Amino acid sequence: MGYTPFSKDSGVSTLTLACRAIMAALDDAGLAPDDVDGLATHRVGDSAAPSLVGPALGVHDPSWHLDQFGGGSVSHAVVGQAALAVAAGVAETVVCYRAINARSEFRMGGTGRGLPVSPEVQYQAPYGFFAPPQQYAMYARAHMLRYGTTAEHFGRIAVTQRASAARNPRALMRTPITLDDYLASRWIAEPFRLLDCCLETDGACALVITSAERARDLRRPPVLVSAAAWGGGQSHLSGGPADPTTTAAAALAPRLYAQAGLGPADVDVAQLYDCFTYSVIVQLEDYGFCPKGEGGPYVASGATALDGPLPVNTHGGFLSEGYVHGVNHIAEAVSQLRGDAGDRQVRGAEVALSTAQPGYVLPATSALLLRKG
Amino acid sequence: MSDLMPGPLRGALTPDRDSAPWWERVRRREFAVQRCDTCRTPRFPARAFCPACRTERWHWEAVEPEGTVESWIVNRRAFGPGDGRPYVVVMVRLAGVPGCLLYGSWEAPSREPVGGERVRGVFVGPAGEGPTLVGWEPVVR
Repeated sequence: MGYTPFSKDSGVSTLTLACRAIMAALDDAGLAPDDVDGLATHRVGDSAAPSLVGPALGVHDPSWHLDQFGGGSVSHAVVGQAALAVAAGVAETVVCYRAINARSEFRMGGTGRGLPVSPEVQYQAPYGFFAPPQQYAMYARAHMLRYGTTAEHFGRIAVTQRASAARNPRALMRTPITLDDYLASRWIAEPFRLLDCCLETDGACALVITSAERARDLRRPPVLVSAAAWGGGQSHLSGGPADPTTTAAAALAPRLYAQAGLGPADVDVAQLYDCFTYSVIVQLEDYGFCPKGEGGPYVASGATALDGPLPVNTHGGFLSEGYVHGVNHIAEAVSQLRGDAGDRQVRGAEVALSTAQPGYVLPATSALLLRKG
Repeated sequence: MSDLMPGPLRGALTPDRDSAPWWERVRRREFAVQRCDTCRTPRFPARAFCPACRTERWHWEAVEPEGTVESWIVNRRAFGPGDGRPYVVVMVRLAGVPGCLLYGSWEAPSREPVGGERVRGVFVGPAGEGPTLVGWEPVVR
């Protein structure tokens, strides 16, 4: 795996970011561009496609590529599909990347871009309702009303992850914060404050996917994809589940665990998609780490801290490390399983869960269970 | 909370070929949903196929725009056009269509919604133009 530095203004194109992250990942693995025969990314019209990135690195005829449309919800499906391509023998060495100038060029936060093109937008945008922090705040309030989840619960996520980021040299936000700092941060869309919202980041991250047999001969200790799942429909069309306090992850989790023959109790470290604080709470429930409705108290117990029974977002997450649309969560899971996470290393980590946007905005999600090789 | 901005914000309204007849009914102050001719299941938003029986025959049926408050947000930064005052967007569970959540403006600017309270849809639009959107007001003020 490889990274570019994270910043608010990379000063370069997403093509350049992609090439730098890919070169770093190949170097990390002890490989060269000539070894690559597959390229994959996800994007929302905001970044360089494999058809551009391949030739830019002299990879002119990859035998497999994937240009997946979509946001965070498909981020882990990209790696899942790369693993399928390798397993099927269509490609031997695939690089999955995400390159993003999400602060300086194409902000996700609801300003500086057009509305996403999907039919449901017409029922929301005319009321001034369309940006991710608004959508997630709406679901968060529903959870507060039904289960008694509080602002302090959200705040504990922000505080806990910042404490982990303080041990991560790559993180953009490393100064520790307190619950009072969280509560004093300005309102964005109630019940969300500024510190409920993730960073908008320029940066790129890349992962090398190959067969387990080949990975064992490369420079770094291998990490195995034990399960990759996607789907889990949740939609606000009538006839669907229509429960704003539950995500697509609730339907996906059982088949993810079944694929690996594992359960929530086997997970040593979890990187849960944290576009907003609340998304961590609802995923702790939907991936089975605590009963429905108890995500807030679970976090307040300290369970998700680095020294807790289930360290979550050990890199600081999108809230404090940076936002690379899901791929930096997978990279952190890999790092923890390789044992090279430095001051934030979870001792004895054997199994990691990494998850995509849990399927609130689009009715699907994706996730990976990774195991030390 | 008397500083709330009432009414919809008028972001882009972009009907498609499924929904254009629904928006046309709203313009005439009619709140309608589709009802399946085969299995009688109501549905919203507008689309051709019934998800219950997978058939395509249906008709429009006017229903009372009634529901309960499932959630709401108070927008305190500029997300679009407006006069800069905070505004509420409410998520309503529609009484007439099982499993349907929809969004709208909050038309009681003197207070915020209350979780679970009963609300009624009202047709709203900016001065000088016909009512084109659905907002929500409390049944008990």
